[in-house]
Amino acid sequence: MSTHNVPETFSIPVGPLHVALEEPMYFKIDVQGETVSHIDINAGHAHRGIEYLTTKRTMYQNVVLTERICSLCSNSHPQTFAMAAEKIAGIEVPERGIYLRTVADEMKRVTSHLFNVALLVHLVGYETYFMHMMQVREIGQDMLESIFGNRQDIGAMCIGGVRYDLDDKSIAYIKGALDKIEAETKDIIKTFKTNGSILRRTKGVGVLTHADAITCGVVGPVARASGVDYDVRREAPYAAYDRLPLVVHSLTDGDVWSRAMVRLEEILTSINLLRVCLRDLPGGPVNINDRPDIPPGQAVTRSEAPRGEVIYYLRTNDTPQPERVKWRVPTFMNWDSLRFMLQDAKIADIAMIVNSIDPCLSCTER
Amino acid sequence: MNFLTIFARNLKQGPQTEAFPLGPAFTPDRLRGRIEFKAESCEGCRICERVCPANAIRFAKTPDGMTFDCWHNTCVFCGNCEFYCPTDAIHQTNDWDLSHVNADKFDMVEHGLIPNQTCVDCGATALNTAPMVKNAKPPLSTEEVAEVRARCPKCRAKYLKNRKVPA
Repeated sequence: MSTHNVPETFSIPVGPLHVALEEPMYFKIDVQGETVSHIDINAGHAHRGIEYLTTKRTMYQNVVLTERICSLCSNSHPQTFAMAAEKIAGIEVPERGIYLRTVADEMKRVTSHLFNVALLVHLVGYETYFMHMMQVREIGQDMLESIFGNRQDIGAMCIGGVRYDLDDKSIAYIKGALDKIEAETKDIIKTFKTNGSILRRTKGVGVLTHADAITCGVVGPVARASGVDYDVRREAPYAAYDRLPLVVHSLTDGDVWSRAMVRLEEILTSINLLRVCLRDLPGGPVNINDRPDIPPGQAVTRSEAPRGEVIYYLRTNDTPQPERVKWRVPTFMNWDSLRFMLQDAKIADIAMIVNSIDPCLSCTER
Repeated sequence: MNFLTIFARNLKQGPQTEAFPLGPAFTPDRLRGRIEFKAESCEGCRICERVCPANAIRFAKTPDGMTFDCWHNTCVFCGNCEFYCPTDAIHQTNDWDLSHVNADKFDMVEHGLIPNQTCVDCGATALNTAPMVKNAKPPLSTEEVAEVRARCPKCRAKYLKNRKVPA
């Protein structure tokens, strides 16, 4: 067969609607043979104008609206928003409320990480194990549904505390569910360390070096897998994190496998934090039981969402609606690093590498 | 080897999926589903209308009194109304089955009426809302609450002011 008429480089589109992509993102990829030579990232397919909508709703309506920005970090958004409002109004959350905020946060982290790693296994092509991992995550989803009343939009946060409370029965239920998830997660970690299919597809693929990680300013598990030892829960503790035995996991390889492994280890840490929270849960009210007006002012707050650091800026005026709400989400920092990860990657690995930053476009483009 | 163990366990356990609609679906007690409104407990403060992020709740003045409507097709089931309601007049049940044919789409509404009444003191027409007496000290007895309830807002205030507080 003659190869004279075949050009050396092709330009291929990946997305915005692509079978292997988690989120609507458009990549224009130049390939040389099977190797990626240049990447163009184009976003804007999930824009819904939520930043504008927040200025049309009251502070108390916005707690619910911010929860619906993203389904997987649906606890981090209202929590950080409520923290900003509390900072402006000088509201102090009761001690029990602080612990229950941590409980909600960590439960969401467990299910979010399990979801991302399960999708990685799906992209590796190990469908049966993907099904198994989603079933493990289902234990967590059932837990969320039983405690908060919804699988995704858990509605745990309110300005001044939390909306839910735990009794002995629900604490025993959570502990039982955590035991199951912990045992399964340990098995998954063992599989990730030994299974040939997973290792061959993910080791040394999509490498983000420590220097590039610093250049891109990546956050969350992506940063920690490249040796950037940074976690907002430790650097700027909020909720009850200053009182908990938090372990920050970091690896140095910066490949797809390391990012998955950081997430899996974090699941075990979250389960440990949850157990400590449930053990030390103080008595008293869970919220301030009031609906105060938020005075004019501005505040910046940040928290560690499952994908990394989320920052909220809130400016209020004399009206019940905020004047400006602006958030910077982890994916905004992380997606630039895809240029480095995808450079010289194989076409077959593109979807897997994109998945490994756990992109959340509904957060980023809101 | 690890996977073979899972395989054996799954073979023994059978399918993980629920049998719904042939069997019952997993429904926890705390599930946030259909809204239920109890007009007799409502204070008429309309806080639920103000905190509802989807504007699904509407109060309206009619010749019979004040109506309450919660549009289930607009509701996002966040539970803000129940959380901020001072008298537990609004409640989220764990009934999640809201499927309906298109012709019924305007009937997916929780409706309630706070009727008008004639004030026993001044004879004015006023809403028969639950009295806002949660913070009254000492707490009102059931008879006293009923007496307050039978009055218009002005006469309610007068009644509470003139109430003899035992020393």
